[in-house]
Amino acid sequence: MKHGFRQSMAWLHTWAGLITGWVMFAVFVTGTATYYKSDISLWMRPELRAQAEYDVVRAAELGVAHLKVHAPKAMAWFVGMPQPDKPYIGAYWMVTPDGEFGKALLNPDTGAPTEARATQGGDFFYRFHFELQMLPALGRWIVGICAMVLLVALISGIVTHRRIFADFFTFRRSKSAQRGWLDAHNVTGVLALPFHLMITYTGIVSLALMYMPWGMVSAYKGDELRFYVESGQMPTWRAAEGKPAEPAPLGPIIRRAQAEVSEPLEMVSINNPGDANATVVAVFEEPHGLAHRHPQIAFHAVTGEVVERTGPLKPAAHAYTSFVGLHEAHFAGPALRILFFLSGLMGCAAIATGLVLWTVARAPKGVVRLAPGWRLVHALNIGTILGLPIGMAALFLANRLVPVEWAARESWEGGVFFGSWLLAALIPLARPHRRAWSEMSYVAALLFLAVPPVDWVRMGWRTDFLGFDAAMVALALVFLFGARRLGRHEGQRREATRTTGDLARA
Amino acid sequence: MTPVAVSLTSLLSFSGLACLCLSMDRHGRTLFHGRPSPRRDRAFRVAGWLFIALAFAAAVTTADWNFGPVQWLGSLTGAALFVVALMSYRPAWIRPAAIAALPLAIAIAFFV
Repeated sequence: MKHGFRQSMAWLHTWAGLITGWVMFAVFVTGTATYYKSDISLWMRPELRAQAEYDVVRAAELGVAHLKVHAPKAMAWFVGMPQPDKPYIGAYWMVTPDGEFGKALLNPDTGAPTEARATQGGDFFYRFHFELQMLPALGRWIVGICAMVLLVALISGIVTHRRIFADFFTFRRSKSAQRGWLDAHNVTGVLALPFHLMITYTGIVSLALMYMPWGMVSAYKGDELRFYVESGQMPTWRAAEGKPAEPAPLGPIIRRAQAEVSEPLEMVSINNPGDANATVVAVFEEPHGLAHRHPQIAFHAVTGEVVERTGPLKPAAHAYTSFVGLHEAHFAGPALRILFFLSGLMGCAAIATGLVLWTVARAPKGVVRLAPGWRLVHALNIGTILGLPIGMAALFLANRLVPVEWAARESWEGGVFFGSWLLAALIPLARPHRRAWSEMSYVAALLFLAVPPVDWVRMGWRTDFLGFDAAMVALALVFLFGARRLGRHEGQRREATRTTGDLARA
Repeated sequence: MTPVAVSLTSLLSFSGLACLCLSMDRHGRTLFHGRPSPRRDRAFRVAGWLFIALAFAAAVTTADWNFGPVQWLGSLTGAALFVVALMSYRPAWIRPAAIAALPLAIAIAFFV
């Protein structure tokens, strides 16, 4: 080794971090937002009001009645039960195994489609988090490869950082700019290191069967569904008989399932609806535990007999579902959720400060022409670190401003998100690179600050969204603080240049 | 895993990490004017690790062995961030805050 181990690791950390930093920043930001997915969804569908209790049997019957009319040819129906954080019946259907999918949100009282505006809600960020809103397979591969490289960057970063314990609490903000960024990078990286390692690793693991399918493919030879059945994750898929038959009423089936499982019912799915061999599967909420696992009971839809119960998970499946559970943190109550959210924010900050550090450490000194590589990184840094939050704020504004009756309203929201992100990435190119940071930070602050008043004007004031409004104001303050700090650094630097200029002239 | 349990773990973690921070040369010097004292540093270090261990015990008793460690690590992260923020913006507050956190933790422990 020419340079010694630690220097090689430093090199690896720098470049692995740089090339994946932009994608991973976006993944971390949207993933952190996803800890509050249901709150975001509730805010984005302001027409829906939550009730304290729901009649699940009635909800299941209303959902099935809707699907009978609108998706009679589907191979499976799914009826999601209404809950306080999901105040609607979710009726979904699958036409073919690879993809063709339909959905409708129904009013829990009447079974008619809800008046809620067409929006992806918090699912927009959730899907972006691991698919980047691209073709799902492509997005998952990009995110997965970047996450694997990020794991390399994390571990090489630990090796590179010689003073983890000596600098544990150190943040020297009044020293040089580079020192300040490095300390910020170290503090956010080290203090939440258990989270960073856990979230990156479990994130890769949650899609591991997609990235490394060979074991499953060679063992199950084209019958991969059986893998999920045998590992205890779902009941057997019972093939259709091809003869129609009248199904047994749902009510008694659901009540029997509920008598066996203490968790609330989450979903009822009907495989091969209308067939003589149709199956009703009652899917329950995760029992309180680390593992992300839903108890399921399958019934013969015509006779109403129990045909299968998912048993306890096999050890490997248990480990796998625990990793996924740890990643998603569905078990976290409000207080622990705040800590997960805070750790997620520290992950975003660690990536952002690392990206900025690359440019600060290589900042052109004096009046020299900027190297194209440096300009590119600088532009991508602003475009990602400030462009993405600007896009998110714009998405919230679009949710309130795009008329409810517009066709393809959902795509308009996404268009506004990507359009304003692109704009926020392009404008700084035309601005002096030193001032671009504070300018775009002011823009982000302004947009987040605009969300609560725009909501009040469009929807009227209500107390349900105080938490959301507070989060918007807090984000605006963070960007305002950032803009002022970045601006002040600039002011000092300009002052310094002027003084040296004066001295040179004198 | 109630908010009460999480705040108990967080308060103990905060006191522990604040003690460890004060036991370190660089940070201790900015707060205790005068010459460094190895005995004081050692006392802070022992107290710091003790509170962190207590935080772990509190987390495991309130949230069991599966969620306890998760809650403990999360609390340590949040508390450490708070220590760093105080240390660089309001260093004078860190001692009173670390001391105030203890009776608060004891009071909260009665509600768990």
